[in-house]
Order: sequence, then structure tokens, then C-alpha cells
Amino acid sequence: MVAFKGRALVKGFAEGEAVVVNEISFYGDVDPETGMLFDGRSLRDKILVSYKPRGSTVGSYIIYALKMNNVSPKAIIMSSSEPIIVAGCVLSGIPLVDGINIKDLKTIKDGDLIIVKEGLVLVNE
Amino acid sequence: MSVHLDRYAERILNGEEGWAKAKALEVIVKVGEALGADGLVKIKHAHISGVSYSNIGDAGLDLIKKFSESGARFSVPATVNPIGFDLEQPEIFNVDEKYFNKQKEILEALRKMGGDLILSCTPYDVGVIQKYDLKIGDHVAWGESNAVVYANSVLGLRTNREGGPLALMAAISGYTYNYGMHIEENRVPEIEYIVEEPRRGFNEALAGVLAEAIAGVHELETPPLVRVNLTKRLYIKEFFAALGAAGNIAMTYIPGLTPEPLPDNWKPRERVAVEAFILESRLDSLRPKDPKDIDLIYTGCPHMGAEELLELYVLVKSVGKVRKKFIVSIPKSILFDRRLLSIVDELRSLGVTVVKDTCLVVSPLKLENLKILTNSYKALYYLSRKGAKVYLAPLEELVLAAVLEG
Repeated sequence: MVAFKGRALVKGFAEGEAVVVNEISFYGDVDPETGMLFDGRSLRDKILVSYKPRGSTVGSYIIYALKMNNVSPKAIIMSSSEPIIVAGCVLSGIPLVDGINIKDLKTIKDGDLIIVKEGLVLVNE
Repeated sequence: MSVHLDRYAERILNGEEGWAKAKALEVIVKVGEALGADGLVKIKHAHISGVSYSNIGDAGLDLIKKFSESGARFSVPATVNPIGFDLEQPEIFNVDEKYFNKQKEILEALRKMGGDLILSCTPYDVGVIQKYDLKIGDHVAWGESNAVVYANSVLGLRTNREGGPLALMAAISGYTYNYGMHIEENRVPEIEYIVEEPRRGFNEALAGVLAEAIAGVHELETPPLVRVNLTKRLYIKEFFAALGAAGNIAMTYIPGLTPEPLPDNWKPRERVAVEAFILESRLDSLRPKDPKDIDLIYTGCPHMGAEELLELYVLVKSVGKVRKKFIVSIPKSILFDRRLLSIVDELRSLGVTVVKDTCLVVSPLKLENLKILTNSYKALYYLSRKGAKVYLAPLEELVLAAVLEG
């Protein structure tokens, strides 16, 4: 087990499998009805790990829609967050951790079991 | 670093002013925290973008409704950006009943919270500054990138680009995070762009291409200082709109136009020369090869003001009736002026489709594979992304293309 310490922008506890997306723009990359990524993977009940968020202005609403449709990730972990994703996570109460460096994030693989507790990220390979 | 809160902001966050204000301010504080802001600023006005049903869908509608139905009221005056269709002529935009009703629901929710439904992307052109007494140095929270650049660069208002729900959250809470353009020193340019005058002077299409060139190289967060001779309001609007579309720029400093003085003994860290032939050849590459083939001509992005409308009228009148589909988007406030209303009527009788409340960028009109000619770089940028083949030329050439048989 590995532990990383980040900053809990939206506090909370979550436990689930990792889905790693290098760059993500919620608008265009995710279907808000199903929680499916453009490449066929699902975000539902997963822990989304993303290195670089791209902030399309509608992104906040997409995150909110994912939550309302019960297909949202349980938590989001990224190296640095940007305003549209922060707004989306606050509005939908999805735990958000940033401030973990990309090198550490890159050790996380799809399917790793992750526990998010405040700013602490525990990874079980 | 944490975001410093004044006592009223603390009250709000503690829920003493209700759920909506608490949630809205929480969003503002967290975004501020993420960006490393040290505190909040009280705002005097908000301009809310992201209100077209085409853009925000059911998710946006649900969220706006949730705030509205909770009894939330805007803490400051707030104006609203264009929607998906002209409220009086929805048929032009092929909207079905469902779309129509959903868009109306969004509007109704915003109106209930106190929104001023100007439905225009040019709040600076429709009396908002006077109505809400906005002055140099005032802090505001504006969405809509062209208006943000105009506000910072010409009006001396202070605003970041508050996209998505951020202007809405600012309107509800009355605060935004103290960051970026709200901080004096960030408004001082460091790089000076000296722009060579094109052979026949600037027009709005060249102004758009100039903005594209600057947005492509300017990486600092401080505003680019641009020495350029933009002689018409239209050129300035198109320059700002293109800066907002092609880049992340929130302000540009134009000597003679920007009201804030530069610090004493200001000197640029770096000077960049922009040669006219580069702009001219870029524009040539965007011009239509064969104007006869154009399916649709579009102007009014950003919304056309009175001056531009008069110019368009004179041009169209000089060629007689237009023979191609020709759409012009204006703010509804134009129609409140009897003289301008009669010009709109004349334009319509000459075959021009004049629409208010909306624009091609935020409407649900299907544009795939259409060949569109516009004088707006911003329209070119966004309509290309909707699958249209878009060409750029100044207004005179739009009108000339409009009389060619296809």
C-alpha cells in the first residue's frame, strides 16, 4: 500500500477502483447520462485520477449531472485542479483532492483500490 | 494558504443567510483556494453566461432551478447572456416544443432570482453600465469572454473570466475570489506589441486575425499592451472578442483606450513587432475562395451595436436586396429605439434576417457542412467547431457576397 498526501478541496471519504484519464474535459469526454468515457470506460462509483484537467466552461454542469444521474465518480484526484472542476465538485459534493504530483499519480493504474480520506490518498495495487 | 473571510462572508458560509448563499459562496471560496487567492472581493454586478439550453442542457437547467426554487435572490444586479433562440421568432432556429420550454424554464429561474434578461453578450453596449452605475475600479463578475475583455480594457472594471456557473455563484453570494484581474499589479502589462498598420488600414477581420496572432504568443497572465490603430468601435469589439475566443486573455492594454494610467516610468520587459503582411496573408487564407458558393452570411458576433447596424444598413441599401441567407444578431435593446427599429424593419424588407436574444454560436441551428461567411473571428472560431466551413472577410465583402447568385 502507498499513501500520498494532497489537499482536500472538497472534503470527504470515498473508496473505490481507480480510473486513470491523462487529460479530461468533462464536456465532450464524458456522457452525463451514463457516466461513460469516450473510450468506453465507466466513471460510475470509481475514483477518477487525472493528471491534467481541461476546463471547458460547461464542465461544472456535467459533473453535477453525473451526480444527479447517480453515475458520478466517488471522488476525483488530480495534480492541479482548475475552477470549472472545483465548482462542479463543490456543487455536487464529490470529494476532490489536488496537489499530488504527476509522478506519484502515474504510479496509479486502472483497477487499483483507492481510499480517499480528506487529503490522504491510499492506493492498494 | 487559505482564503480570508470577512464577517459577513463567515455568516453566509455558516448558513445564516440560507442554503443557496452558503453553497454559492462555498464554490467561490473553494475555487479561490484552488487558485491560491488570499481573500474575497465584494462585487457590484454580475453578467451570467452559460444560459443557452444548447450549451448547459438539463444539468445546467436543474442546477439553476435548484437555486431558484430554494428562494435564492441575487445579492447584486445581474444581467444575462444570449439564449438559444429569438423569443419572438423561435421558428427561425427550428427549436421544438421541448427545447422551447426548457429554455423558458432557465429564463424563468434566472428572472425569479432577479436576473435582468438583456439576453445580450454586449452588456457594455446596452445601457448596463449606466443603469447599474458601474465605474472605473469597480469589481464585477462577468462571464462571456468578449465582455470580460471589454470590461477590463475599456471600462476599467475588474473581472476575471467567470465561466460556467461561477458568475451565477458570484451573483448569488455577492462575492468573488480576489485573484487575477482584481489585483492591481496583475493589470500592469509587461510585454508591448507594436503593430504595423496594414496598407489599407485595419478592418474588423484583420483585427480578429491580429488577436489570434497575439493570443498565440502571449503566455503571461498580465495583459498584453497593444499599440494599434483601431479606428472603429466594430474593430475594437471584434479584436476583443477574438482575443477572448482564441486565448485565455481577460484584458489587453491599448494606449489611448484603456482608462487606467500606466505606472510612472513604465517600461516593457519585452517589445514584439507584429508585421502587417503576416496579418494580411493570414486573412487571405481565411477569405472565401469563391464567394458565390457561400450558403450563409453572418454578422453580429458580438451583438451588433447601433453604429454597426447603421453601417450595415447603408451597405445593404447600396446593393439593394440580398440574395443569400443573411443573418444579423442584435441585442433586443436596439428595438426599443424607434429610429433603430425602423432600420431593422428596412433591413428585413431588403432580405436580411435580423434576430435578437441569441446568436449562431449558442443557438441549436444545425450548421454542419454549411459554408458560412462572417466578419467575426470569434464566430469563425466557434462555428468551425460546430462543423461549418467558415470564412472571414470585412462587412463590405459580406454584403457584396450577399448579392452574388449561388
